Amino acid sequence: MPRFDTLNSAWMVWDGPAPAPEEAVLEYTRELEKFLAEIERRAFRMAQVALRDPDDAMDAVQDAMLKLARNYASRPSAEWRPLFYRILENGIRDLQRRRSVRKRFMAWLPGPKEDPDNEAQDPLENVADASPAIPEVLMQGQAMQQLEVSLRALPARQQEAFMLRNFEGLNVAETATAMGCSEGSVKTHYSRAVHTLREDLGEVW
Amino acid sequence: MNEKPPMQSLESFEERSRVLFHDSVEGLGGALRSRLTQARSAAIEAASTSRPARFSRIGVLMPAGVTAAAVLGAFLWLGSPLGQHAVTVADGQSNFEDLEMVASSEEGSADAMDMLQDDIEFYDWAEKAANSGPAA
Repeated sequence: MPRFDTLNSAWMVWDGPAPAPEEAVLEYTRELEKFLAEIERRAFRMAQVALRDPDDAMDAVQDAMLKLARNYASRPSAEWRPLFYRILENGIRDLQRRRSVRKRFMAWLPGPKEDPDNEAQDPLENVADASPAIPEVLMQGQAMQQLEVSLRALPARQQEAFMLRNFEGLNVAETATAMGCSEGSVKTHYSRAVHTLREDLGEVW
Repeated sequence: MNEKPPMQSLESFEERSRVLFHDSVEGLGGALRSRLTQARSAAIEAASTSRPARFSRIGVLMPAGVTAAAVLGAFLWLGSPLGQHAVTVADGQSNFEDLEMVASSEEGSADAMDMLQDDIEFYDWAEKAANSGPAA
């Protein structure tokens, strides 16, 4: 390590990285905006499928956007997608955990039982079963609702793997990053999810 | 007889579910889209006002660096065994002059402090380098 008589001489040999210019910050914020605009609606729908509630889904997506922007905006843009979905999946799990704690807590309280998830009024619970005899009447919206109902019945990890791989189009490695597990686990979860969904929805779906 | 209908092929199942999902995304209402746009704008605002982790450390290092410089300055100024207002170590003289220049409260103190704040990483590194002992 060199020894310096003056700070000036130390400055001459300092080879630390130059501070990020404002242009670089502007550049990645522009790129980040493009990225978020491209994925935000899909992310919202996936959160909505998992959480059943549009407001909760919006909160989860907004939170994931903020965390990505604050903590990872300077990372290479190729890393943003799996990182964003990892943050989002964590947020969804947190919300689900909080809900179940709230539910247990409410169960202990005296008086009329509240329904924090509003499940009794969930219109998806009342979706009519599709008749195999008339597949032509299945509209796109109904088919999607059926898929959502079946997806919600899956274990959380299978649901995540299916949505990230199939809906978002992440490859196995990206999905593993987003889910925080091995690629082998992703393959297993996805395969089980597809098998269950196909059995559940049948040919006419 | 309650026989299950045969399953469609894997590829067509995956394709159909993907198409349905993307159709449902396209069908999102204007109000939801607007809320998503607002959320995105808030995130972009956060990104443009915050800096990468390396630069945000400046906020932590700055007070530490200023304090270290002040303590060192006080030590050199008051701690001399001869009671002189000068550094007796030969090569400490020039370091003292540099510190005095940076920390001067009379002449161009604002510039000096700005310089210290801008280059706090450098001063942190230089301090470590100077304290790491004689040249290899």
